[in-house]
Amino acid sequence: MTTPAAQTKPAPAASPPAGSVPVELPMAGAPAVPFIEIETLRSAQFIPAAKETLGDLIAEQGQAKVIRPVFNWAGRNSLFPLHWGLACCAIEFAAAFGARWDAERFGVVPRSSPRQCDLMIVNGTVTWKVAHKLITLYEQMPDPKWVIAMGNCATGGGPFRTAYSVVPGVDKLIPVDVYIAGCPPRPEAMLDGILRLENLIRERKE
Amino acid sequence: MQPEELQARISPKLGENLLGVEPFAGTAGRVRFRPAGALELFETVRDDLGFRHLSMVGAIDWVDHREVFYVVWSDDARQYALLSTDLAADAPHVESASGIWPSANWHEREAWEFVGVTFDHHPDLRHLLMPEGYAFHPLLRSFKLHEPEELEVKSRRV
Repeated sequence: MTTPAAQTKPAPAASPPAGSVPVELPMAGAPAVPFIEIETLRSAQFIPAAKETLGDLIAEQGQAKVIRPVFNWAGRNSLFPLHWGLACCAIEFAAAFGARWDAERFGVVPRSSPRQCDLMIVNGTVTWKVAHKLITLYEQMPDPKWVIAMGNCATGGGPFRTAYSVVPGVDKLIPVDVYIAGCPPRPEAMLDGILRLENLIRERKE
Repeated sequence: MQPEELQARISPKLGENLLGVEPFAGTAGRVRFRPAGALELFETVRDDLGFRHLSMVGAIDWVDHREVFYVVWSDDARQYALLSTDLAADAPHVESASGIWPSANWHEREAWEFVGVTFDHHPDLRHLLMPEGYAFHPLLRSFKLHEPEELEVKSRRV
């Protein structure tokens, strides 16, 4: 069945107009990766394969010097923050995962269970009522784990510093690696904090 | 309903525990009573006068005494009424209204937590908004803004 609109629509050009440069994708012409090569990279075979490849290097420089950078590289490119929000900073936290800022391009994927996370972004005002729940969540996260204090409230209590119900800085409760200033910080600032944390992980020795 | 009508219908039940009914903007009137007649007044107001809904319970620290007030609503008269009582500043306590209006439960917990008014025979008088073991009544006038470190020591969960 054809609609009148489809009938009036001009037919697509069979060839590019004269004078235009034919576009070629970068990968065009490259041999396709055989399926079996992808299969050998599955996790059960990754460590033996890596040991085989890096064997000489490990024998030369020691395991710590070679394996540690590999794990740091993997860890800092797959930071999984806990998906939770305490106050208005959580709105910016959510915006950072939207289409405009797209934090997932840095491998930052929020997870809903603390047992799948290695990064806690404390995004909001921490009250004494929620303090022990925050500590419980932090203790449920597997090692190694990092903490980002996002915004003025989590950093030092913010405008509520002297209030009767507010923890003056989340570092009173758990160790913090990176502080992000702002009230609330823009998503760019949050991404900057994550990149600074990645630099910290790059330098990690043990 | 006018303050005079409230006065006329409450005073036979309450006697000298009724201190007076005064006009209060937007309500049927403000009933001032002695805490000794609290339960009697609540029952009269709910059953005889038709104020079946308790909208809120609040407490105020007036330094020399504390005031507890109840805002009740009547669906028949389409009117609010205020009930208020003055308590001694040292060890202020009043009978709980949660047996009359169950909605008083959480309001009284909050009033106890922030202004330190004890509600006798309350079924579950514990912290509502602050953590267990919190050592202050923070809406008292005598409560000073604390240094964060001092508050931290006293607020941390044991």
